[in-house]
Amino acid sequence: MPEPAIDIQNVQKSYSNHVAVETLSLTVPKGSVYGLLGPNGAGKTTTIRMILNIIAPDAGSIKVLGKPYDDSSLVNRIGYLPEERGLYRKMQVRRVLRFLGELKGLRGKEADRRIDSWLERLSLRGQPGGEDWGNAKVDELSRGMQQKVQFIGSLLHDPELVILDEPFSGLDPINAQALKDTVVDLKKQNRSVIFSTHIMDNAERMCDSVCIIARGRKVLDGAVDEVRDNRTTRTVALGLVSARSTAVDTVLANRSLVASVDDNNRTMEIELAPDARPQDLLAALVSAGADIERFEVVRPSLHRIFLERVGATGIEEGMSGHG
Amino acid sequence: MDKLFAVIRREYLERVRSKWFVIATIFGPVLFGLLMFLPALLASRSKGDDSVAKIIIVDATGTNLGDRIAGRLSGGISGGSGLTQVRVVNPDSIAPAESLATADVMAEKVKGYLVVDSSTVAGQRARYSGSNTTALIDMNLIERGVQREVMSLRLERSGIDPDVGRQIATMNVNVSTERLTSKGRGGSGQINFVFGLAVAMLLYMTIFIYGLNVLRGVMEEKQTRVAEVVISSVPAGKLLAGKVIGVGGVGFTQLVLWLGMSYVLFQIRAPVLARFGITETGFNLPQISFVTAIMLLAFFVMGFMFYAGLFAAVGATVNSEQEAQQAQMPVVLLLVGSIIFVQNVLLSPDGTLSRTMSILPFSAPIIMPLRMTVAPVPPLEIALALLSVTIGAFASVWVASRIYRVGLLMYGKRPGIREIARWIGQK
Repeated sequence: MPEPAIDIQNVQKSYSNHVAVETLSLTVPKGSVYGLLGPNGAGKTTTIRMILNIIAPDAGSIKVLGKPYDDSSLVNRIGYLPEERGLYRKMQVRRVLRFLGELKGLRGKEADRRIDSWLERLSLRGQPGGEDWGNAKVDELSRGMQQKVQFIGSLLHDPELVILDEPFSGLDPINAQALKDTVVDLKKQNRSVIFSTHIMDNAERMCDSVCIIARGRKVLDGAVDEVRDNRTTRTVALGLVSARSTAVDTVLANRSLVASVDDNNRTMEIELAPDARPQDLLAALVSAGADIERFEVVRPSLHRIFLERVGATGIEEGMSGHG
Repeated sequence: MDKLFAVIRREYLERVRSKWFVIATIFGPVLFGLLMFLPALLASRSKGDDSVAKIIIVDATGTNLGDRIAGRLSGGISGGSGLTQVRVVNPDSIAPAESLATADVMAEKVKGYLVVDSSTVAGQRARYSGSNTTALIDMNLIERGVQREVMSLRLERSGIDPDVGRQIATMNVNVSTERLTSKGRGGSGQINFVFGLAVAMLLYMTIFIYGLNVLRGVMEEKQTRVAEVVISSVPAGKLLAGKVIGVGGVGFTQLVLWLGMSYVLFQIRAPVLARFGITETGFNLPQISFVTAIMLLAFFVMGFMFYAGLFAAVGATVNSEQEAQQAQMPVVLLLVGSIIFVQNVLLSPDGTLSRTMSILPFSAPIIMPLRMTVAPVPPLEIALALLSVTIGAFASVWVASRIYRVGLLMYGKRPGIREIARWIGQK
C-alpha cells in the first residue's frame, strides 16, 4: 500500500475542562478526497489543528506526507482553509495574497503570475483592462469574494495536501460550485484533499473515503461505497402518489417488517426489520392498496448512517443535514 | 528566516503606507514646535499685559510706598499710571478700607488689592487678595515690585543717595549656567534639562503609541480570524517577533523623521520666532556623544521590546476594543508610572528614587536616558540598567509568545489570570 497522506494513530487531546479528541486513529490515502464528518463539537477542528501542528497532541503519533507532523518542511506542502475565515481588512487583495504566498515560501514573479491566474479563474479579475479586484482593499469586497480570496490563499503555493475545515459553510451556491470544481481538479492532479463537514450530501457526492467522528471518537471510517455497503440492514426508498392511507400506515408500523421510517416528504427511507425481505414489504403495501410511485432497494445515505451511528445524543444544536 | 522577513515587511509597510503615519510624521514636529514656541510667546505677551497694575493699594505705612509700588507696576512697563489706585489710610482704618476694596474687586472694577503697612516697611510682609492669585506671573510681578520698593525705601532712609538706592534695588543679576562633566564642558544645564525631558517624552510617546499598535495588530488578527491561517504557516514565536520588529521599525522610522524635521525646524527658528516678534535667544543644541546616542537607541529598542511583548500578550487575550481597554491598564500603568516620576528625577538625578527607577526594567527605558542626559551616570549603573531592561525585554517576549500561541485561537470568554498562567506553562 502506498504511503498515506495522513496517518494518525491513537491521538489524544484534552483541554483544561474537556476531552476534545479521545484515542483517534485514521488514515487518509494519498490522492483521495477524504471527508471528516461529525456533529459540531466532535473534535474535527482539533484534529485538523493537530495535523497542522497548530496545537500539539497529548499522546499518539501523527504522520503527514510520511513525516512527523511537527517537521518544519511540511508547512510549505500543506494548504489550509480554516473554518473561521478572515483576512487583513485594510490590505490590498494582491498584497494579502502575496503575503500568504510568502508564508508558504512562494515569492516574486511566480507568485504574481499565479495570483493573476487564480483571480481570473475565480472571476475576480476580468480580461486585461477589465475590472481587477486584486487592486481593491479586502473590505471593499463582498463576503463571497473574500471567501474566494481566502481560498486562493490556501492553494496559491500548489500544496500536495489541502485541508479545508467546513469549506461549504456560508458559501452561496455559485461559490460552493466553484469550490467543488476546484476540489475535483485537485483530485485529478493527484493531490490529497481532506475536508471536514457536517453536511452529508457534500461528503457523499465528493468524498472517496470518510471518517465519522463523534465526541472525540471514531465511529466508523472507510471508502464511501464500503461504508454504505457494509450494512446488515437493508433500506427501501418508497414513493407514494397520494397521501398515506391508514392501511399503509399500519403496514409501516409493523415491526416485523419495518425497523424505522424516515419520512422525507416526497420519499420515505425505510429500514427493513432484520428478518424481513423487501418483497414481503412490497406485497404488504400492495395489499394495503398503496398507490406506489417508487419502490427501490437502496444503499442507505451517509446522512442516514450518520444519524443512526452517531445517534441523536451525539448531535448538538445547529446540526444541519439534508433531512 | 524568509517567513520572519515576510511578517516584518507586512507589518512595516502596511503601517508606513497608512494615512495616519504620514499625518503624524508631518504634524508631530509642528506640534512640538508649537509646544516649544508657545510658552515663549505667551511669556512675551504677558509682559506687555498691564492688567496686573489694575489693583487697589491700601497704604497704611505713612510713607509713599504705595505710590512707589503703583509706579513700578504700571509705569515700569507701559508707562501709564492711572491704573493703580492708591488709598492712603491710617493703620486703624485698614479694615474698612479693605471691605471697600473687596467690594470693588467683587464688582470686577479691579483685579485685587494690596495692603502695605508698617510690617511691610519693616521688611516682613504685605497682603494681596484678588481674583488673579493663581496667576503665577502676576503674583511674581507684584511680589518683586513690593520687595524692590521696600528695599529702595529702606536704602534711602539709611541715608544712601536715592539714585544709588534705586540702582541697587533694581539690579538684576542673571546667572547663566554651564554644565561640567568629567568629559569637560557640555552646554548650559538648563538646555540639558529641556533636552532630557524631550528625550524622555519622545521615548515614552513612541513606546506607548507603538506598543498599543502591537496590541491592536494582534487583536485585529484575532478578530478577523486571519491568525489561524498565519499561525499554520509560521510558528507563533516567529510571528510575534516579526510583529514586534516590524512595528518597532515603524516607531523608529517615525522617531528618526521627527528628530530630523525638528532639527531642520530648529535651524530655521530665528525667522519663525521673529514673525511673532520674539527675538531669538542664544540657544545651542546640546552635544551628545556617539556612545550616548547608541545607548539611547539601545534603551529605546529594549524598552520597546519589553512593552511590545506585554501589549501583545494583552492583545492575544482579548476579543474586543472594550476588553482591550480594561486589560491594557496594568501595562499602561507601568509605563505611566515611570513618566510621573520624571520631575523628581530631573530635580535630583542622583537620588535614590532616580537610581532605583533607572534600573528597574519597566522604568529604565525612560528614566535612564533622562538621567544620562541631565547628569553624568556611572558606566556601571548604565550597564546594569541595560542588562536589566534587556533581560526584562526577552522575558516579556518569551512570556508573550506563550500566551500569544494559545490566546490567538481562543475565542469567547476573556481568560483569568490563572488560565493565562496555565497557557504559559502549556506544552
